[in-house]
Amino acid sequence: MKTLIIISWRNIWRNRTRSIIIILALVLGIMGGIFSAAMRLTAEQQQMEDALKNQISHIQIHHPGFVANPEASYSIPRGSELAEELEQMDNIWAVSARTVFDGMAASANMNAGVRIKGVNPDSEAHTTSLDELLEEGTYFTGEGRLPGVIIGRELANDLNCHTGSRMVLTFQDKNNNMVHASFRVEGIYTMTSKDFERRTIFAHREVINSHIDHPDAVTEIAILLNDMEQYRQAAREFQEVWPDLKVRHWAQLAPSRYHNLEILDQVLIWILVIILLAISFGLLNTILMSILERVNELGLLMALGMKRSKVFSMVMLETAMIAIIGGILGLLSSYAMIQILNTSGVRLPGAEGMEEFGYASVLYPDIPVSFYFETAVVVIIFAILAAIYPAWKAIKIPPAQAVRQE
Amino acid sequence: MKTVIKTTRLQKVYNGSVAPVTAVNDVNLEFYEGEFTAIVGPSGSGKTTFLNLIGGLDKPTAGHVHIEGVDISTMKESKLFDFRLRNIGFIFQSYNLIPVLTAKENVSFIMLLQKRPRAQMERRAVEMLEQVGLEDKLNSRPNQLSGGQQQRVAVARALASKPKFVLADEPTANLDTKSAFNLLDIMLRLNKEENITLIFSTHDQRVIDRARRVITLVDGAVSEDKAVSAEKNV
Ligand SMILES: Nc1ncnc2c1ncn2[C@@H]1O[C@H](COP(=O)(O)OP(=O)(O)OP(=O)(O)O)[C@@H](O)[C@H]1O
Ligand SMILES: [Mg+2]
Repeated sequence: MKTLIIISWRNIWRNRTRSIIIILALVLGIMGGIFSAAMRLTAEQQQMEDALKNQISHIQIHHPGFVANPEASYSIPRGSELAEELEQMDNIWAVSARTVFDGMAASANMNAGVRIKGVNPDSEAHTTSLDELLEEGTYFTGEGRLPGVIIGRELANDLNCHTGSRMVLTFQDKNNNMVHASFRVEGIYTMTSKDFERRTIFAHREVINSHIDHPDAVTEIAILLNDMEQYRQAAREFQEVWPDLKVRHWAQLAPSRYHNLEILDQVLIWILVIILLAISFGLLNTILMSILERVNELGLLMALGMKRSKVFSMVMLETAMIAIIGGILGLLSSYAMIQILNTSGVRLPGAEGMEEFGYASVLYPDIPVSFYFETAVVVIIFAILAAIYPAWKAIKIPPAQAVRQE
Repeated sequence: MKTVIKTTRLQKVYNGSVAPVTAVNDVNLEFYEGEFTAIVGPSGSGKTTFLNLIGGLDKPTAGHVHIEGVDISTMKESKLFDFRLRNIGFIFQSYNLIPVLTAKENVSFIMLLQKRPRAQMERRAVEMLEQVGLEDKLNSRPNQLSGGQQQRVAVARALASKPKFVLADEPTANLDTKSAFNLLDIMLRLNKEENITLIFSTHDQRVIDRARRVITLVDGAVSEDKAVSAEKNV
């Protein structure tokens, strides 16, 4: 075995240039695969984090009827007290109790269907950082003749209104009577989700509650946990404590997003698989060439009594060595690359000036360590597959023919 | 005298591109322990084919090859690999050495495959390279050796593992006269000292004269088999 290793090792350095080229191809392929995977994963995670932080929160509680019919009549019994109770819990970072229902928003000459969220300005700022998302205007200062609403940039564009514009909201009160209420656009926010921007309006909960004639109404409680990883367990616990309410965590609230993130791992590994597949053909070709150049020599080995299985192993070993060198160098360079880019950041060309639309123009790519291991496994599998055909070719060489002097 | 190799009605027919070629035709021969035999004949007379058959590198179309009573013509391939490794030494005309191994490693190679103890192997390899006059080339790679030196390494390797017999197919064909004589002298001396049966093919008259027994092949059949008196060789 030791001799086999020595022979294989020396064999791969016989054609130095060829081996170095294929090793370099492996290194660059792995780096490329890991770079693109890290960029996509980071971009997706950043969006996910934004969505959790600014829109969804970790857990939401509703009246079971509200899920199908988001109306003020489905309010959470003793919702304010429940919110206060939650706020005292150790594992909870912030709670926002809201009155949420669908309605119409009208500017001077246009209108649109919207979801109206009556919020307590402080709790909301704490929970979703709404105050930090303002692109213009102020955050519920309480000044002015009309009560303020905060609307998304998209909706402002659709309805052609600005800060200071008057806006009429139409909705039903708790007795299903139509209510028309006048507001003033106090602030305009932006965030990653354009859809959310277009559909969601924030107003003061007290103002909203007085309009629907239901001062204590709370239809939605959004919860931000101290430790995000605890979301499933926390949701389960809350559900047990309040069996009559509907408790859902973010993965249930935004299942497609959650699913995207879940399958992204696989998508990324497939990208890597495709890159490495292409390189494997190069590897196969390299090894095959080296076999065809050594027909006489391989015949000699077998004529001297080296078993075909040993010759097979030798070719496999040669391929494995190249793959291991390329793989280790590739993974180390990739790791170094990601570490450097993770501190320096990657400026995305074309994303400058996009920050105002919620896109990050600089990404700090990162990738879980497991991905490096998955890459290593893929490299090993492909190297083995690439070696089989040349190795099979090698053992088909008839020794008697190969040692004939031609 | 002990019989090492015995062929009975040995025949090899190749499927030539035009018509079948009978390369070895009804050969019945016996080789005895300690012999130093030359197989001669014009080009295409079947020398290589015959050596490949008795060396177990090729399967006969008909007939048998017995090595010390064991029929190798019916042996399974994997057993044959092992049999060759343990019993037969080979010297070829070219492509003899493993390019990535040093002279010493090349000489050790057979013993290595035989899984001999390392120390014994080392000692024997150095001893054999001394025997062929290459004690100063132990760590040279084949491409650093002349053609004659390479063939001497091949001789050292073939004999190092003390096989039952050694087959050499035109071992001197690529050598100049001086190297050819030198190689033959070494082979002859080792044949005596180690008492190893040696069969070599050649169409080089210079080296035929050194053999004790000369078998002539014509069109795959034995046309002459004559013993040469030992004195003539001295
Ligand atoms: N694989 C093969 N297929 C077909 N014919 C073959 C094959 N190998 C050898 N032959 C034929 O068999 C005959 C004997 O060939 P062989 O090589 O044994 O002769 P040789 O005496 O060794 O010749 P040389 O002195 O040139 O080496 C030749 O006619 C050759 O053309
Ligand atoms: Mg020949």
